[in-house]
Amino acid sequence: MVVKQETKSMTGNDAASYAALFAKPEVIAAYPITPQTTIVENLSRFVDEGKLEAEFIIVESEHSALAACMGAAWSGVRTFTATSSQGLLYMSENVFWTGYGRLPIIMPVVNRCLAPGWNIWPDFQDSMAFRDAGWIQMYTKNNQEVFDTTLQAFKISESKDIALPSMPCLDGFVISHTTGQVDLPDPEDAFEFIGPYDDPIIELDVENPWAYGSMTGPDQYSKNRRDLMVAMERAKKKIVDVHKEFEERFGRSYGNGLVEPYGDDEADLTLVTLGTIGDEAHEAIDRLKVEGHSVNALRVRTFRPFPVEDIVEFAKKNHKLVVIDRAASFGHEGPLRIEVEAVLKRHNVDTSVSGKIMGLGGEDVPYSAIIDLAKKELKE
Amino acid sequence: MPVTQKDLMIKPKDALLKGHFACAGCGSALAFRHAIGSVADKAVLVVPASCASVYQGSGKGVAFNVPTINTAFAASDAVASGISRALKKKGKDDLKVIVWGGDGSAADIGIATEIGACDRQENILHVMYSNNVYGNTGGQRSGDTMIGARTATTPKGNTTPRKMVPFIMMANNARYVATASAAFLEDFVEKFQKALSLEGFKFIQIDISCPPNWRADSAHSIEISRLGVQTGIWPLFEWDRETNTAVLSRPGKKYGDKANRKPISDWTSLQGRFRGITDKELIALEEDTERQWNFLRKFM
Repeated sequence: MVVKQETKSMTGNDAASYAALFAKPEVIAAYPITPQTTIVENLSRFVDEGKLEAEFIIVESEHSALAACMGAAWSGVRTFTATSSQGLLYMSENVFWTGYGRLPIIMPVVNRCLAPGWNIWPDFQDSMAFRDAGWIQMYTKNNQEVFDTTLQAFKISESKDIALPSMPCLDGFVISHTTGQVDLPDPEDAFEFIGPYDDPIIELDVENPWAYGSMTGPDQYSKNRRDLMVAMERAKKKIVDVHKEFEERFGRSYGNGLVEPYGDDEADLTLVTLGTIGDEAHEAIDRLKVEGHSVNALRVRTFRPFPVEDIVEFAKKNHKLVVIDRAASFGHEGPLRIEVEAVLKRHNVDTSVSGKIMGLGGEDVPYSAIIDLAKKELKE
Repeated sequence: MPVTQKDLMIKPKDALLKGHFACAGCGSALAFRHAIGSVADKAVLVVPASCASVYQGSGKGVAFNVPTINTAFAASDAVASGISRALKKKGKDDLKVIVWGGDGSAADIGIATEIGACDRQENILHVMYSNNVYGNTGGQRSGDTMIGARTATTPKGNTTPRKMVPFIMMANNARYVATASAAFLEDFVEKFQKALSLEGFKFIQIDISCPPNWRADSAHSIEISRLGVQTGIWPLFEWDRETNTAVLSRPGKKYGDKANRKPISDWTSLQGRFRGITDKELIALEEDTERQWNFLRKFM
């Protein structure tokens, strides 16, 4: 049975902070950066007002924000931080350390492009740089999904069979600072969904001392990384299961949790997207349909682990994919396109794939631009 | 309570087990054994990239007999902050969170993190064991290298003064700051225990010999450390925020007076890193040593 929820109006950053509030993390460490800042401002207010009983560590850098969360996670408590852009880059060695160290830290990344020049608007260049850091990455399309995904992330990451950090991603400003409708469950219902973190994956123990991260030879090292690959593979099922459980309790879903299709099962053209462009594509598809064009969409919600099977299945039923990337791998193509193409080739799917990089540095991607792209692709 | 030699022999716990990877004559491993051993089952260690990340051993044979978290070079004081807060939240704040790292992290790459933890008054103790060089990368100059030292990146001798990390910590309002020497372990362990009894950010810099990088005979390890104090190169003191006073420690007290000091060349001559040091460099080293003493005297 779906629980009672209250419809609120709030920004995407508010939605992320409410998810964190309801999850009751015990240690939060954070450093300000636009457009993430209001998430941790909210949390510090919750702590000051006594709504959240957490240790809030006001650190001197993002490098230390994640390091402090790592220390807390090794001590066996639920942890939370958030960042953006340069901040994410500044903490980078710890981002990898967290992923490879299997610490279940939840860190929303409010996507913002990278300097130079100074620009605070969104693209995915920041989080895409951490594709290989061993984090679960989920890209959201609106404020509601930010709340839902952040809450789900705790349950996924803290599962003992997963033990991976999560990075819910939200487009800077388009989501983070734009007010939208969010249905909020009762805090206790939300907390009950993820449960307390009382049987931690890892915990410092003076009675039974161990050393973590000591020198490791090639055999053990490569075994650890293979284990991480396997855990990522298991995470696919976990994401689907948690998403389903969430749907049963709260009545909302995003495809199967890994990918979210839109429109007809089969169409002349398929738009493959990430983030808010996926939401904008709905409008484009509806308008194209009125004009007699057959276009559908597949929004990749979970980028890591990469939903290979779902993409292959969808591509098999369709004829032509155009992948819209909001990031570039300079010297090659957009990262999503590269991966989609590789997956289809590996599975002998001959559906053609093209791509376009749009929306860098906050360049607006309205439905009209997507319609123009679709029409051009349909002609070719 | 003064710590005696007898106390040093009775350790509640053997903190450093057999099979560690420290070099012969390593002052850091010796200091570790006595200091960490003295806090029995209460220590939680955080180790930045440093010799201690190597000499703890590897795999299932790790020789550190206390919970140990290895961190990135600049991350240790922030990781320790997170541990300390989490332990507080869990009601386990009787545990002592100790950062055990070298001068590369404490004087250079990690100094912002360290000052950050100090600024927040995190309840941790940072022990900076100081061999004035990036030891396990093969002996490159660090901010803690003294004038005249030949290192892998200053083959003709280092020309810049030593970074005075304890004074930086005092200026940043640490709860307690002290220096120590591997030649005077009773003094070190006493300071170590005192630091751990206080709430807030504590900092101890201990001078330890590094025979491979100092190109010294490992049999001279303690002798060199002792000479470091006796020549005035390494002032032994402790400073408490409550009194804002620096007090010279017993084993090094008389060397506050220049007249009582042995010539610095007694100390340099036992170390290959000072081979070829010129008179001019020696004078500059003496001047920099005096600069440190003069700074310290302002708090005495």
